Amino acid sequence: MKYDTIIIGGGLSGLACGISLARKGQKVMIAAAGQSSLHFSSGSFDLLGYDKQGNIVNNPIEAAQQLDSEHPYSKIGTALLKTRAGQAQELLNTAGIKVNGQVEKNHFRLSPIGIAKPTWLTVDNMVTLESPDQFPYKEVIIANICGFLDFPVEFLVDNLSRKGVKVTLKTFTTPELEHARENPSEMRATNIAKVLEEENNIKKVADEINQISQTQDIVILPSVLGIANPTAIMLLKQSIHAQITFAATMPPSVPGVFIQTRLRQYFQSQGGMFLKQNKVVKGDFTNHELKCIYTENLQDEPLQADNFVLATGSFFSGGINTNYNHIFESLFNLDIDGPDDRTQWTKENIFETQPYMSYGVRTDTNFNVQKNGGKINNLYAVGSILNGHNPIKSADSEGVSLLTGLQVAENILKK
Amino acid sequence: MLEKTQLKNISTHDFEKCLKCTICTVYCPVAAVEPRYRGPKEDGPDTERYRLKDPKYFDEMLKLCLNCKRCEVACPEGVKVGDIIQAARIKYSTHRPGLRDRMLANTDFVGGLATAFAPIVNFSLGLSITKKILDSAFKIDEHRQFPSYSHEKFESWYKKHELEQAKYSHHVSYFHGCYANYNYPQLGKDFVKVMNAVGYGVNLLEKEKCCGVALIANGLYNQAKQQGEKNVHSMRNSIKENEAVLTTSSTCTFTIRDEYKALLDIHNDDVREKISIATRFLYKLIEADKIKLAFRKDFKKKIAYHTACHMERMGWAIYSIELLKMIPGLDLTVLESRCCGIAGTYGFKKENYQNSQKIGAPLFKQIKEVNPEIVATDCETCKWQIEMSTGYKVENPISLIAQALDVEETKKLNHIEKQKL
Repeated sequence: MKYDTIIIGGGLSGLACGISLARKGQKVMIAAAGQSSLHFSSGSFDLLGYDKQGNIVNNPIEAAQQLDSEHPYSKIGTALLKTRAGQAQELLNTAGIKVNGQVEKNHFRLSPIGIAKPTWLTVDNMVTLESPDQFPYKEVIIANICGFLDFPVEFLVDNLSRKGVKVTLKTFTTPELEHARENPSEMRATNIAKVLEEENNIKKVADEINQISQTQDIVILPSVLGIANPTAIMLLKQSIHAQITFAATMPPSVPGVFIQTRLRQYFQSQGGMFLKQNKVVKGDFTNHELKCIYTENLQDEPLQADNFVLATGSFFSGGINTNYNHIFESLFNLDIDGPDDRTQWTKENIFETQPYMSYGVRTDTNFNVQKNGGKINNLYAVGSILNGHNPIKSADSEGVSLLTGLQVAENILKK
Repeated sequence: MLEKTQLKNISTHDFEKCLKCTICTVYCPVAAVEPRYRGPKEDGPDTERYRLKDPKYFDEMLKLCLNCKRCEVACPEGVKVGDIIQAARIKYSTHRPGLRDRMLANTDFVGGLATAFAPIVNFSLGLSITKKILDSAFKIDEHRQFPSYSHEKFESWYKKHELEQAKYSHHVSYFHGCYANYNYPQLGKDFVKVMNAVGYGVNLLEKEKCCGVALIANGLYNQAKQQGEKNVHSMRNSIKENEAVLTTSSTCTFTIRDEYKALLDIHNDDVREKISIATRFLYKLIEADKIKLAFRKDFKKKIAYHTACHMERMGWAIYSIELLKMIPGLDLTVLESRCCGIAGTYGFKKENYQNSQKIGAPLFKQIKEVNPEIVATDCETCKWQIEMSTGYKVENPISLIAQALDVEETKKLNHIEKQKL
């Protein structure tokens, strides 16, 4: 099988890259091995939240100029960052993921326990703040589903109260939600969202919320609606008298599954081939080029392409791995920035900057990777697998994935 | 003490690779509708740790697992979640299957009897009184439509055409499975038609037993293993003379290639790569420029392709989809990949019927929205479920290829005339 570009990895960066290439008429395959870390999404996309000193960033584009040369944004070039960010926002919206936010001014998302974190874009209908201490409402009702444990309301109430918000905690249920509750451990956000796909079940929830709130109230609900499409949220909004907004839950994340599904569908609608359940196991290299790859389930099927993109993620998704001896790139053993001495990987205090977080594959400014010191001319890396950035300490994870995905698509098209 | 540090994870079914990330729970069709099932994570790798210490942690509710393997497809770490659950049932279950489960599981025994009396059997299975009796006495749900039995088995039809097959210069064996043999011989005939058109003669295995998927699902493991050993033995002999053993069922293929080894401890390494679903075999021949297909110009159909669970697990849907795309007159929509809910014999059981229909509902809805002329899928039980639940006709991709094929032109393209036919 022959493609223009084959992308290894079906998460945010791989999909962003694949969509941009497919939209320009390329024949693209994405080979995926299992689902992505979007299932842990907060419902927001971070671009750059903190500077090197740990201070909150107000304008990510401006702050990006201070980043080290190894940071993926520096490789894209600060002049282009704003353009790529704009393209990323357009891509999400065209895929049917309505997001709000501005590239030159961070807003704040609310973590499941009610901590305000700087971010760039947030999925429509989720609660956001202009600044960490300014909650948009003076008085709110937090309404949780009886028995839903992945919404830590006590923390949320406590943290909102500290911001001077008057919070009333209420609970509700319906027969269908009680049915789901018979299995407390599987009463997860995503399983609730499946119950709340049905119009009748949504209406019953609306009736219950109308019982515990008035027209003038603001009601915060856990983000357990709209796993397949936004109509469930629209229907609930229409049926409830009070104003409603949603707060992030513990994973698995309903907005995250929605984002993943929508991007995958959009990629397929542009003619892209999304190959599931096909972990790439090896590749054939000749003369500094990757000729073809093979997957676990298509072992005797060389998948050929002019260009390849490695979007396999970092430690969590298995793109990078360690054993007792060293850190390595899992698939092709590409060159990695990170020491062999494992005592250097971590710091004892978990809240300190952990060195391993910024280990990743070494690339040039075009995001071409290296193997044994030699550049691979048609293999690029995008997203979390890249070296030189710490997604936790800088809050730049989704931005790096989206922007490098788009940049590499551009680099491939320019060739 | 080990001399060296163990660098690779080598746990059974890779269960120690589980990070407890919960992604599998998002894709479990059962946990979403049935709270008595504790979901793939908890019933799989989580409880496995306890079961290894004390079998009392085994829960018979594991039988609610469909074995669809969608947890395995979703797992980013490659944990064989479904295998862990099925292996636990094999190892720890003390439940002894009753008459109903034995009947449902023994598809070839029941099929053999039923085809002998096909007109009576089909007539009676369609009667509401029969359905009521099956429902109350056997707990086979009365809403379920039975697949009808053919009066002539595929094997009997094949015998009449066996001699012709020797004339071709290439050969494959066909593992037809119970469905093509007893219920729908047309699928087998379609397969033979397509293979012959591209210059391949079709042989049958010296002995074919049911692949055993229903036996595994119903707890008849010893019988499944015996039948599996016999099949692998026949296949081993077959590949000495034939280029491959081909099937037209995703579930038979998956069971023989993967479940035999993972669950029944049947050694199939030497034959596994030679066992393939027909669409994949054909696609690869076309890709290698060894054969060509010519299609009728007047064949126009709107088709929706449904990815059966085991096709998804094998990662092979791409072959059936790409092959169908070669038919110029086909307007193809690939449906969102979701379980249809039947899972072989699961959906026939009274206690599972409601859940089975709930699981399939989003798929049925999507089919109605697309409103195709025909739904295509590689799995026969998906066919029953979709036909019963939506009213749309369902065909195997091979049957669609056979219908669309311009046989004369295809034979010309593949120079069949020049051979000694």
